[in-house]
Amino acid sequence: MEYKICEDKTIEEKLTILTDAAKYDVACTSSGVERSNGKAGMGNAVKAGICHSFSSDGRCISLLKILFTNECIYDCKYCLNRRSNDIVRASFTPDEVCTLTMEFYRRNYIEGLFLSSGILYNPTFTMELIYQTVYKLRTVHHFYGYIHVKAIPGAAPEVIQKTGFLVDRMSINLELPTAEGLNRLAPNKSRKTILAPMRQIQNGIAQNKNELVLYRNAPQFVSGGQSSQLIVGATAENDFQIMSVAEGLYQKFDLKRVFYSAYVQVNQDKDLPALPGGPPLLREHRLYQADFLMRYYGFRAGELLSEERPNFNVFLDPKADWAVRHLEQFPVEINRADYKMLLRVPGIGVKSARRIIQARKRTRLGFEELKKIGVVLKRALYFITCEGKMMYRTKLEEDYIVRNLTYVKEKLPFEVGSVRYEQLNLFDMASDPSIHYKQISQIDTKVLYG
Amino acid sequence: MEEKILICEDSLEGIFTAVYQVYAWKLDKDHVVFQIGEEGNLRLFAEYITVAPEVEKAEKVISTIIRKMGEEVYWDICCMLASRDPEKGQAVFRTIVTALKTGQGREVLSNVKEPYIQKAFELARNVNCEVHHLYGFLRFAELENGMLYAKIGPKNNVVTLLAPHFADRFPLENFVIHDVVRRIFVLHPAKKGCIVVTGREYDAFQLPGESEEEMYFQALFVEFCHTIAIKERENLTLQRNMLPLRFQEFMVEMGKK
Repeated sequence: MEYKICEDKTIEEKLTILTDAAKYDVACTSSGVERSNGKAGMGNAVKAGICHSFSSDGRCISLLKILFTNECIYDCKYCLNRRSNDIVRASFTPDEVCTLTMEFYRRNYIEGLFLSSGILYNPTFTMELIYQTVYKLRTVHHFYGYIHVKAIPGAAPEVIQKTGFLVDRMSINLELPTAEGLNRLAPNKSRKTILAPMRQIQNGIAQNKNELVLYRNAPQFVSGGQSSQLIVGATAENDFQIMSVAEGLYQKFDLKRVFYSAYVQVNQDKDLPALPGGPPLLREHRLYQADFLMRYYGFRAGELLSEERPNFNVFLDPKADWAVRHLEQFPVEINRADYKMLLRVPGIGVKSARRIIQARKRTRLGFEELKKIGVVLKRALYFITCEGKMMYRTKLEEDYIVRNLTYVKEKLPFEVGSVRYEQLNLFDMASDPSIHYKQISQIDTKVLYG
Repeated sequence: MEEKILICEDSLEGIFTAVYQVYAWKLDKDHVVFQIGEEGNLRLFAEYITVAPEVEKAEKVISTIIRKMGEEVYWDICCMLASRDPEKGQAVFRTIVTALKTGQGREVLSNVKEPYIQKAFELARNVNCEVHHLYGFLRFAELENGMLYAKIGPKNNVVTLLAPHFADRFPLENFVIHDVVRRIFVLHPAKKGCIVVTGREYDAFQLPGESEEEMYFQALFVEFCHTIAIKERENLTLQRNMLPLRFQEFMVEMGKK
């Protein structure tokens, strides 16, 4: 298959243009696949995933994240590469992508390739280009590192299918939480064309699992599972809607991960919100916290949020927020509680819950031991007893606990900007202990996002 | 009762040989202290015994550890022994004694009430963490003869723990990992096992200059790292938290901008 490309750009120029065009996609993980090599070609995969660097925004660089081309026939309003934007366009050739991947991988710069693309001519044509690139990497260059590609909605199922046998992960971005939002901002895309290939990959993975049971050497299909991404803050959906959509994707489509991307204002359009306070980072952070609660801690979206409380509390992380609203289930006795309940205690994570279960088999645990195990006592102490005793005399009372938990400054991965701090001061809790938590939680989150 | 202080070499063989001797000599394990290397202050009322490393004895201890505690705990013990903490010998010794005495085997590290096992657990976690960091942060450069060369300056002696990962990843490459702090080279000739080079051989070891293409790919990667960042989300504190400065000095993309 031949296609016309402007050959007037060097590989350096293309790398700059097509990296810049790919940077808003969040998924850059390389976890979930364990593949040993030791004999031939180059590369292996490590289950835990490996971060190779961190860019100046603090995000992990694990994969060579690039677009194949930023040419696009679509006109999605939130996207830098929309057809109507007057920007420099460029396309790689499959060989250029292979060279970059192999040479970066050899130097241990990256864990593999993450290839996405704008739509050149039509979806099937674009998917075919992606297929050719990964086919070359796997068969000509004998590359056994991690490969994540986008499945292009609307591409012929056969092309998606054969690509799936070469890659570790495939993803299709749902982009916006509701069909209505999608229609408004991405008029060329539809829910149906996005969900159809998602279903196809899901079925492919399930069928492949059966084949692998029968024939151990059957080729693997998307062994690292599929993921998706939602843009947060470009449309008016609330957190509850977003979490419900994510829950649906986990349950109905067996997704491995859903990523949330705080909307960054790259285009001016009357249908897009103005974000004078910058991208909604705190909101994105809360969504990731809640996402972890759903995947590893056994929470359901409906437990964390509801129609009446559709947005996350800005002052408390979702787990602490849930705990203070369910004080009837606390305090929890560390030496007796089951694993599921331990996971629900603020300050106890998956690792420390497992270690508690292990350690208490042969000894009674006290607070000293919990500290060594890695439990964050300044958060957990309100919710637990050891041998029937609490750590200090505390009250099992919502307002009291919330006040104390918010004194312990939450570790956020970013600073809350100064403008927003001033707004917070209106409700300064330290100076006015009479203020009630219930009132605070009702503050519209929009206040914080400007 | 008089304490017996075993002075052992700072190596896997050194410490495992000492463990072997404690059992062979039927010493009272509660009154044995492991010490790595000579120490300035000698203690009264204690007997000092220097144990020279012996590969055979060490191997017997290794096979016992793997049989009774499993591969995973063995890896953790290797990590503990790579630590720069001077108390690692005693921590490892107490861990092995407890595991064998109580029959707890692979669960021995979950003993939270035994301080030395706590210590051992901490050491293993700490070293494992550095190993995992370097899996990602280590940078190879291509030399004129096509060989790959990486410099590291780790806190702990992890170079031999890193090598198996890279040998599995790059079976067909000739590569060298160089610990500049401890003056150790680990060589991996293509399709072969790894070789450790120290001491006089280290001094005699010579490396050619970087290949012509090397600068080109370094520049491409630096450009990639700068372009991939989202300006609106700049957060240098988070970057430094995730990528500690002590690794940055060896990374091409973290140099001059």
